[in-house]
Order: sequence, then C-alpha cells, then structure tokens
Amino acid sequence: MQHDEQWLTALYRESFPQAARAIQQLGGDMDTAKDLFHDAVIIYLEKPGNSSFQIDTSAKAYLVGITKILWYKKCRTEHKHISIDDNETFASIPDDLHPDKEDIPVLQYLRTAGKKCMDLLQAFYYEHLTMEQIATVFNYKTGRSATVQKHKCLEKVREQVKQTEAYAERVA
Amino acid sequence: MRKELLDIQEVDRYLLRGLTTADRLVFQARMLLSPDLRRKVKLQEKTHQLVRWYGRDLQREQLSAIHSQLMAEENFSQQITSIFK
Repeated sequence: MQHDEQWLTALYRESFPQAARAIQQLGGDMDTAKDLFHDAVIIYLEKPGNSSFQIDTSAKAYLVGITKILWYKKCRTEHKHISIDDNETFASIPDDLHPDKEDIPVLQYLRTAGKKCMDLLQAFYYEHLTMEQIATVFNYKTGRSATVQKHKCLEKVREQVKQTEAYAERVA
Repeated sequence: MRKELLDIQEVDRYLLRGLTTADRLVFQARMLLSPDLRRKVKLQEKTHQLVRWYGRDLQREQLSAIHSQLMAEENFSQQITSIFK
C-alpha cells in the first residue's frame, strides 16, 4: 500500500531537481543522484511523524541535506578522500539502511517464497498500520484474526531464517 | 492462541518495548537462564530487520515508478537532464 502516491509524487517533483543539482556539483551522475535521493526519502518517511501530507520547505531542505550526507557517506565507504570527518553528520543515517551481502539470499528467498507473509509483516512493522487497517487491506474479518495471522507469519519467517544455515551461525 | 504464538507475541513485546519495567526485568532474567529463549529473541530481532529491508525495497519500487512517471513528462525530464549535461 505504501505512502500516498499523489503526495509522494508532489514531494518528488519539488525536491529531486535540487537534490540532483547538489549531487552533480559534488561529481555524481544521475543514477547515483536518483538512488541516494530514494534513500533520503526512505529515511525521511521513517522518521516518526513525517508521513504527513504537507510539503514544506523543511521537507525539501531535509531531503536535499540527507541526499548530500549519503553522498559523503558513500565516498567514505569507497575510501575516497572527503573533508568531512564527523560521525555526527552521519547520525541521521541508519546503520542498516541496506542489507549486508550475506543477508541478500535469505531476503531474496523471502521475497518469493514468503511474499504474502512479508507483505503483512511489513504493513505492521514498517508502515505501522494498525491491525484494523491491516485486516481491511488483507481481507481478514477482524483485527484480532489479522493479529493471529501476523504471529503465524512471524513464526514462519523466523523458522525460515533459522533454517538458513549461514544465518543461524551468524546470529548464534 | 497456541503456546508458540503466545511466546512469539511476548518476545515481540520485549523487542518493541511493550513490556512494563517489571515484566521486562523478569523477561531478561529468563533470558539469562535460557539459551533457547536468547536464541529466539535474536532470531526474531533478525526477522524484524529483514521485514524492514523488505519494506524499504517496496518503498524503493514505488519511488522508481514515480521517477519513471515524472521523467516521462517533457519539462521535468529536460530539467533533470540539463543538470547532468
């Protein structure tokens, strides 16, 4: 279901050109600008209370700012010389924004084999919908039956994670 | 709900900070005594992380669709391509 499409499109239209210009000035290309901007929007949407339907200057400034920080972070990861050496600058970026290499196979597996459950789980844990909203979206009679299904899904996915041997070793 | 599901619900409450301070302390004490419970908590935490990555991927898909849609508009597309000339 994700965020309101119209609102998000307007936010994109308003903010991306400026973010793209900033990345171009720092030496990046269009695809990089696009990827970093998408991550910035994700970080913005994950901040509590930000899924509102307003586009103010602060939202735009925030997105451009985070896109630039993501660029610096990318440069630092790629060991390019950058003048910013301040961990505080990166504090707004979650450490686990992207999965590690070893997480990708299990994630890929869950995407295909466990899609139904993953859709339901992400609606609760990621989109923070209420169980009543989830019941409506996923056609359960009540929030209560959706809750039971959520726990079953959690159990199923947890079991799949456990059975991925490399995984089991890593989280042991 | 059967016992396994109730256990999952309890671990979730612990992870999502839904337990009272007293219940939290009891839960932590139980974890100290039970390697099995510790393992379940870790696996469930990992599951939450995988769900988060999955959610982000869905969000990225939506953003890519919006990007393509806007780039199909002549004005927007020109504005962006002129930046990277």
